[in-house]
Amino acid sequence: MEERLYDLIFIARPATPEDEIKKVIHSIEHACTEKGGKIEKSEHWGTRKLAYRVAKHREGMYYYHQIRTTHGELIAELERRLHVQDSVIKYLTIRLDEDLKRQKKLSEKREKRAARRPRRPAATPAPAAAVPEPQAAAS
Amino acid sequence: MAEEQKQGQAAPAEAPRAEGGAPSHGGHGGGQGGHGGPRREGGREGGPRREGGPGGGPGGPRRGKRQYFRKKKVCKFCVEKMDLIDYKRADILSQFVQERGKILPRRMTGVCARHQRWLGVAIKRARNIALLPFAGSAAGSTAPKVVEAHKS
Repeated sequence: MEERLYDLIFIARPATPEDEIKKVIHSIEHACTEKGGKIEKSEHWGTRKLAYRVAKHREGMYYYHQIRTTHGELIAELERRLHVQDSVIKYLTIRLDEDLKRQKKLSEKREKRAARRPRRPAATPAPAAAVPEPQAAAS
Repeated sequence: MAEEQKQGQAAPAEAPRAEGGAPSHGGHGGGQGGHGGPRREGGREGGPRREGGPGGGPGGPRRGKRQYFRKKKVCKFCVEKMDLIDYKRADILSQFVQERGKILPRRMTGVCARHQRWLGVAIKRARNIALLPFAGSAAGSTAPKVVEAHKS
């Protein structure tokens, strides 16, 4: 199975006690280890102003995780867990790997083009475009 | 706004003559350019009159008669060579929405088609997690700061 990278952000109520948050994070970690996922990054963005009212709150505590997994069910499980938590008012999971793959492909292409023909990149667009294709397919 | 609309139709491929480089103030700024439009049409004697013709672009032969300077807009993301528009960077994204939260059109900001496509996706993602508003004021939208981070 193919590995996938996800962003998981959740917003907790601004006045949530810390141990409650810890419990939520712990449950995320637990689900990850159980289903064979790996938390790559874990960040706390602090209390931010929300762009609109969510569950009657104007502020919220943002928590950000990056998760790498081969099992899609893990994401469903995480969302289910976040959904039942009362302290979590909003969450979002986004699949990142396709965007990152595209980014990699484009930056490679750009580097190649810059290396080959620094002055007139527009002259040979076709071969430059053709070269990275098989690589992307192989990866 | 009406003049801007007309201009957009007249020369869709070109960067618009609206405001130069201040994308966050969407609805305004076209005033000066829009003012120049009708006057130019009426006051010309002889010469090609059709405004909507394909030759009416910025690089046309009548460049010398222009009374205003049209700044050529370039895509900000292309200049910075961004291959990924991060939905988490609300500070960047908020430059491309109006004060009421609408996504600014390409003809206002000069963003290229490809980046506008990604930008739209990123803005919609940011809206979903309350980093950007669906409607209403975007004031105070800054980039999320990491308070504490631990890599595992």
